[in-house]
Amino acid sequence: MSFDIFLQHLTNGISLGSLYALIAIGYTMVYGILRLINFAHGDIFMMATYFAFYGVITFGVPWYIVFPIVILLTASLGMTLEVAAYRPLRNAPKISIMISAIGASFLLENLAIVIFGGVNKAFPTPEVFTGVVQLGPVSLQKLTFYIPIITVIFLVALLYLINHTKTGMAMRAVSKDHETAGVMGIDVNKTISITFGIGSALAAIGALMWGLKFPQIYPLMGVMPGLKCFIAAVIGGIGNIKGAVLGGFILGVGEIMLVAFLPSDYTGYRDAFAFILLIVVLLFRPTGIMGEKISEKV
Amino acid sequence: MKRRNLILNGSLVLFILIFLFSADNFFDDYPLRLINLCAIYIILGLSMNLVNGFTGLFSLGQAGFMAVGAYTTALLTMSKATKEATFFMAPLIWPLNSIEIPFYFALIIGGILAAFVAFLIGAPVLRLKGDYLGIATLGFAEIIRIVIVNTQTVTNGALGLKGIPNDANIWWNFGIAALTVAAIVSLINSSFGRALKAIREDEIAAESMGINLFKHKTLSFILGAFFAGIGGGLLAILQGTIAPDMFNFILTFNILLIIVLGGMGSVSGTIISAVAITLGTEYLAVIDKPIDFGFFETPGIPGMRMVVISAILMAVVLFYRHGLMGTKELNWDMLIQKFSRRPLKKGGIES
Amino acid sequence: MSQNMDMKKTSLIKADKITMQFGGLTAVKDFEMELKKGEIVALIGPNGAGKTTAFNMITGVYQPTKGKIILDNKQISGLKPDQITKMGIARTFQNIRLFKDLSVLDNVLIANHLHLKSNFLEAALKLPKYRREEKSMIEKSMYLLEKVGLADLRDEVSTSLPYGNQRRLEIARALATNPKVLLLDEPAAGMNPKETEDLTHFIKHIRDEFDLTIFMIEHHMDVVMGISQRIYVLDYGVTIAHGTPSEIQNNQRVIEAYLGVEEDA
Repeated sequence: MSFDIFLQHLTNGISLGSLYALIAIGYTMVYGILRLINFAHGDIFMMATYFAFYGVITFGVPWYIVFPIVILLTASLGMTLEVAAYRPLRNAPKISIMISAIGASFLLENLAIVIFGGVNKAFPTPEVFTGVVQLGPVSLQKLTFYIPIITVIFLVALLYLINHTKTGMAMRAVSKDHETAGVMGIDVNKTISITFGIGSALAAIGALMWGLKFPQIYPLMGVMPGLKCFIAAVIGGIGNIKGAVLGGFILGVGEIMLVAFLPSDYTGYRDAFAFILLIVVLLFRPTGIMGEKISEKV
Repeated sequence: MKRRNLILNGSLVLFILIFLFSADNFFDDYPLRLINLCAIYIILGLSMNLVNGFTGLFSLGQAGFMAVGAYTTALLTMSKATKEATFFMAPLIWPLNSIEIPFYFALIIGGILAAFVAFLIGAPVLRLKGDYLGIATLGFAEIIRIVIVNTQTVTNGALGLKGIPNDANIWWNFGIAALTVAAIVSLINSSFGRALKAIREDEIAAESMGINLFKHKTLSFILGAFFAGIGGGLLAILQGTIAPDMFNFILTFNILLIIVLGGMGSVSGTIISAVAITLGTEYLAVIDKPIDFGFFETPGIPGMRMVVISAILMAVVLFYRHGLMGTKELNWDMLIQKFSRRPLKKGGIES
Repeated sequence: MSQNMDMKKTSLIKADKITMQFGGLTAVKDFEMELKKGEIVALIGPNGAGKTTAFNMITGVYQPTKGKIILDNKQISGLKPDQITKMGIARTFQNIRLFKDLSVLDNVLIANHLHLKSNFLEAALKLPKYRREEKSMIEKSMYLLEKVGLADLRDEVSTSLPYGNQRRLEIARALATNPKVLLLDEPAAGMNPKETEDLTHFIKHIRDEFDLTIFMIEHHMDVVMGISQRIYVLDYGVTIAHGTPSEIQNNQRVIEAYLGVEEDA
């Protein structure tokens, strides 16, 4: 395999990894603040693509107007989910909350099947995103090139928000200790809501780019990316945003390289790669690459 | 009191036997199939409840263990000719292509193989807790499914298996379900069952009382997988056809629904809920028929009932967290009390 | 500090400079402790001094960062909690950790499980060997429940008991593991003076009846001074004093440690 082709695969991997990273952040933020796997996160991602589909195709609104609205809509969907499915169980045993999360995920998927139909739909791809760019010896789809750039922009914005604003400080405080944060005058429920909003908004951004890159959308499209991105978050160290990004890239690049370098008999195992990686990481470093060690208080 | 319960238990068993006998002789294929399905879901529900409800491990690997049991049973019972016809893409490897054994042996082997897979998985996975365990077991179930899709010469890949001989009648299904109930009840009421419940209640305290967490978690996990494998095998026999897609997360979800609704940690709750949900999901098929919402129409989408089922699961968890029975068991005293109290209240007489 | 090392020959359990670090924080530093058979020894110190952490190291809940623990000439540090319990150390918990949903009797029966010889098949099939074991487990558990005055409440859900009874149930449960050494973490917490006095007698009584060696964390000074032969004092993870009750009462550093805490509070 020549170096050019390797570079080609690497860029593809980075592009896919960026998408994984954007979705993984939502998992990690919610886990950080609620210690909960938001099983429905992948389905929120799916919903975003349908919002865009209906906006652009059915209502014929230009994409640059639709896309921001989709991001806001998805954010509010995430916040609604938290209020409806998780807030009532805040003091319930963990297993109940996890089951509620699984229930929410299935509810969204099945609602999508009923409302949007089970058959694939073609995601609208505006002209600006089509075509090819030439980077030295490597020729890339424009999108493959744009995705990492857009991801980095939002990532920088997110890190600024978390580390340098009052909202970010509140989020960090709540993730350490709900009660103490509440006593310090932080509105815990509002902060959790905002966290879900931001996580869902990032999932929407990821979903829009995902739709542009793989323009087939269907109600169960969020399941696999959802699971993989959760895995990415665990690999990076759940609760840690930089870790989620790192995990996303490891998974994205790893998957593309695996398919590129393994004999074609084994490419069917592509989806197993994430799970195998997850189990290996959990065995040797249960708190992930950048995670902190937590010990239970006795 | 004891005498009364003995009589009541006897009548219940007799009633069930008469019901099964008439179902076997007079029912049409479709309702008969549903009743058989109830027995299988009782087995599957109990197997998952042993792990999740009684031991408190959040395991989502049920579908994977069922797949192991189902494929083993199918491959060991299908006739040589059926196998040749089914494996038209790539022939089945030796010696599977020439084996054909009675289904009850195949079921046991399927259960043992599922248990063995659980043993292999358990060593790494059972060190994890809570949602990590959930996601890792889910991951393993997915890996099992992906392996099945990709091993054409053993499992016929995505095409699945057809023509699995339907030898297990209603007596076999309910007989095995009854044995499962007896085995699990007996285990959870023994010292080992108490140890499992102790782990569910408080791992740190259990370990400090000398209970080897890993050993007991593995025991529960392996036994759960064994019964899941048997249940999967019976499902394969009942349906006659299996494919890897069948064993996805939705299957695990359905069984999770049974144990949540029935009560995590209740055998009788699981039995009632397994029957209710099996029949309920079938009869809910009505709402999958076309419904006109005015601005859009749902042309017979097989999804509406899943919406209802998901909504039920969420409602149960949100408003009725302990399910039907919680960790309690149904007994006659409870029932009699419940029914004898009602008329008193209606009449407004306090005694 | 007076320490009679010539009595070492009957040493039952010994902690040799055990240290516990959590990240950058040293919760307990170079803790040395030695109990002789049949002794009742107390571990005291202000809140957050590292007393429970020391307990957690001895019982294997935490692995000491440094140092080792010897029971009966065998090293137990590095073993898991269940193995250590099997070797003869039982404990109660400061923040009561009963098996909540289970009955009082079940709570005690569970602590017998480690001595069960039947395997799970023999148990599930209720073979005679298991039946005999089950019977003797129940007898033993009922005896222990009578000892702590809870026999009548055997079928109650453990968490429905009043606080004092829950503490007693924890002791019965710990005794069911047949310990040589019993670690009590604040057994008198939340008890009134009458209950505290009863507890003092009770601790002495079980020490004699079950041939125990007792190590306890306690804040009630009347309990500590009343029954312990020796006292270790921890402050900020460091042992600041060790001696007989009267020696500790007059120790300047101990007084300062306690007064210092009062100033902070």
